[in-house]
Amino acid sequence: MKKKILSVLLASAMVASLAGCGGKEEAAPAPSEGGTEAEAPAEAPAEGEAAPAAGEEEAVTAKLLVWGPAEDQSAESGNWLPTMCEQFAAEHPNWDITFEYGVCPEGDAKTNVTQDVEAAADVYMFANDNVTDLVKANAIARLGGETENAVKSTNSQAIVDSVSIDGALYGVPFTTNTWFMYYDKSKFTEDEAKNLDTMIAKTKISFPITNSWYIQAFYVANGCTFFGDGTDEAAGIDFSGDKAVAVTDYLVDLVANPNFVDDRDGAGMAGLRDGSIGAIFSGSWDYASAKEALGDNLGISSLPTITINGEEKQMMSFAGSKAIGVNPNCENMQVAVALAAYLGSADAQKAHYDMRSVVPCNTELLAQPEIQSDALVVAQNETFDKTAIIQPFVAAMSNYWTPAENMGKAFVNGEITHDNAAEKTEALNESMNTSVVD
Amino acid sequence: MKEQGTTSYRTKRLITNIIVHVVLAILAFVWVFPILWVVLTSFRGEKGSYVSSFFPKTYTLANYAKLFNDTAILNFPKMFMNTLIIAIFSCIVSTVFVLAVSYCTSRLRFRMRKPYMNMAMILGLFPGFMSMVAVYYILKSIGLSEGSMIRVALVLVYSGGAGLTFQIAKGFFDTIPKALDEAAFLDGATKFQVFYKVTIPLSKPIIVYTVLTSFIAPWVDFIFAKVICRANAEYYTVAIGLWRMLEKEYIDNWYTAFAAGSVCISIPIAILFVYLQRYYVEGMTGAVKG
Repeated sequence: MKKKILSVLLASAMVASLAGCGGKEEAAPAPSEGGTEAEAPAEAPAEGEAAPAAGEEEAVTAKLLVWGPAEDQSAESGNWLPTMCEQFAAEHPNWDITFEYGVCPEGDAKTNVTQDVEAAADVYMFANDNVTDLVKANAIARLGGETENAVKSTNSQAIVDSVSIDGALYGVPFTTNTWFMYYDKSKFTEDEAKNLDTMIAKTKISFPITNSWYIQAFYVANGCTFFGDGTDEAAGIDFSGDKAVAVTDYLVDLVANPNFVDDRDGAGMAGLRDGSIGAIFSGSWDYASAKEALGDNLGISSLPTITINGEEKQMMSFAGSKAIGVNPNCENMQVAVALAAYLGSADAQKAHYDMRSVVPCNTELLAQPEIQSDALVVAQNETFDKTAIIQPFVAAMSNYWTPAENMGKAFVNGEITHDNAAEKTEALNESMNTSVVD
Repeated sequence: MKEQGTTSYRTKRLITNIIVHVVLAILAFVWVFPILWVVLTSFRGEKGSYVSSFFPKTYTLANYAKLFNDTAILNFPKMFMNTLIIAIFSCIVSTVFVLAVSYCTSRLRFRMRKPYMNMAMILGLFPGFMSMVAVYYILKSIGLSEGSMIRVALVLVYSGGAGLTFQIAKGFFDTIPKALDEAAFLDGATKFQVFYKVTIPLSKPIIVYTVLTSFIAPWVDFIFAKVICRANAEYYTVAIGLWRMLEKEYIDNWYTAFAAGSVCISIPIAILFVYLQRYYVEGMTGAVKG
């Protein structure tokens, strides 16, 4: 009996394998086909009618695939995305929309959408540093018309710039993304928390110096720049001269300070929990953990200043935004653009804030007293407005990350001293401005 | 004189044994240490990814409970079942493939035999993920990239290349005396009958080896699963799930659950191994009695 089963199995597997081969051969030319179609230009702005009145809309039957992070689709954290989509459908009775959802964190949009643009979501959420790659892959539609006006009138210029390339708007922003400082109020007063050197003199602090998303804060503080104002690719990254060397010297001392803890492998949060560390640098994603660790003693503020050569300099973090984009291969452009606009609207941002504490960026919403009283929102927005630069998303920015990370590691390993600071800084500047690919 | 000779021999043997055992103990420690650490972490009571001590300060089962109950964002039980299903089917398909191809290359003589074996050797030199994107588009064009067909697609991906990894099984089949086949032919057996009545019963160890390697592949593969599942979270395999637990948004909350997950995925593999191991040893020691 066993042997018969085995033989049947073998035979069926062979048949299946033959059938499989046939299918594959026929299908082989598909990738190139997909490639050419995707090349169709999407230069013209998608005229998304923001639907002034339901009565004027023509009847449309649409199927929309929407991608967002898992937290936005889980019942326990409010089910934000499906709820908003249903509300959107209810506001447009003439549109018969079927929604489908997929899971794609904002930061992964670049990878997941560009892998197969045609099969990707019609409406998706992305982090703004993905925008260059998305535009290059023709995976994101330029927004125009009323949507563009609405975005520009309800967001600060910095946020609009973060999702625009050469004046063309590519997404509807719904939150900001940056890092700031969590500190223990029982260890520092609010005034002490304004200067890093005062803080470190008092108790231990933790900073992720080996992470290149953080280390630039010190260099930018002393006048180093990224691509001029952040968009001029030809200007390059300027970490040259005395201003950068002064920072390197400062960091040598900082890292050597016994009160300095490199925030690696979660050391900062662990220290905050057991009370050995007084301040960490992180973003809104760590708010719940920090709140749990410190309770009422949790202080949140924008970045402190540092004292370089006797002068107070403001640390500057990288900031970005998260936005909603529309796929140019979408069949019902009008509906997709309207949905993107709706998901980025003040109402949707308010719901997002209520359900998941996602910090809103809509200027009208930020003015509301309820939101004004939230320390996290205030700190994040203050950081975004005052102690941050927009993280550049020009292509050459990709050369920055690895050299900067290695620099951070070299500080921690003690490879950089006052004697070789100038030399190491020069080497850093050079490697950041050298493309690995060319 | 005589006595002295035996003593020195004994001492020598003792010294050799001590050295050998010390070396083995060190190696065993090095190998077991990370596993022990993962198991300990999976029972750790303190939260977060950073620890200052090797042994946890408090022990708890909550990490396992979280892994299987907190399914809102990372649905581990679902991923576990996905992977188990995929592993079982791809294990069956690829075992059949490998054995069939090995038998053909070992016993049959046909014109394409040598060219095929050379081609397989050369193709085997390229890493599989080179063809990742091409594989995705091929699967898409035959409609296997959406919905529940994703599982079928993954089974195909993990078992499709099996025909190229026949070398070890072929080598084993070569050691089975041809006289056995000839005897069977004289009794009127067909080639297929020889395969499953003579060759297969004699090759248990190599079947066990093939089953084990093909069963493990879906549990450890990340890159193909990621490319083929894309945004379809309900078809994620454990590798993607475990990777997601270590992203900056989740790591602080999920780190100990991640260790618990790592322990859990070793269970089905361990069960299969323990069950099949006796055939392994049997076959290896008994060799083939001509």
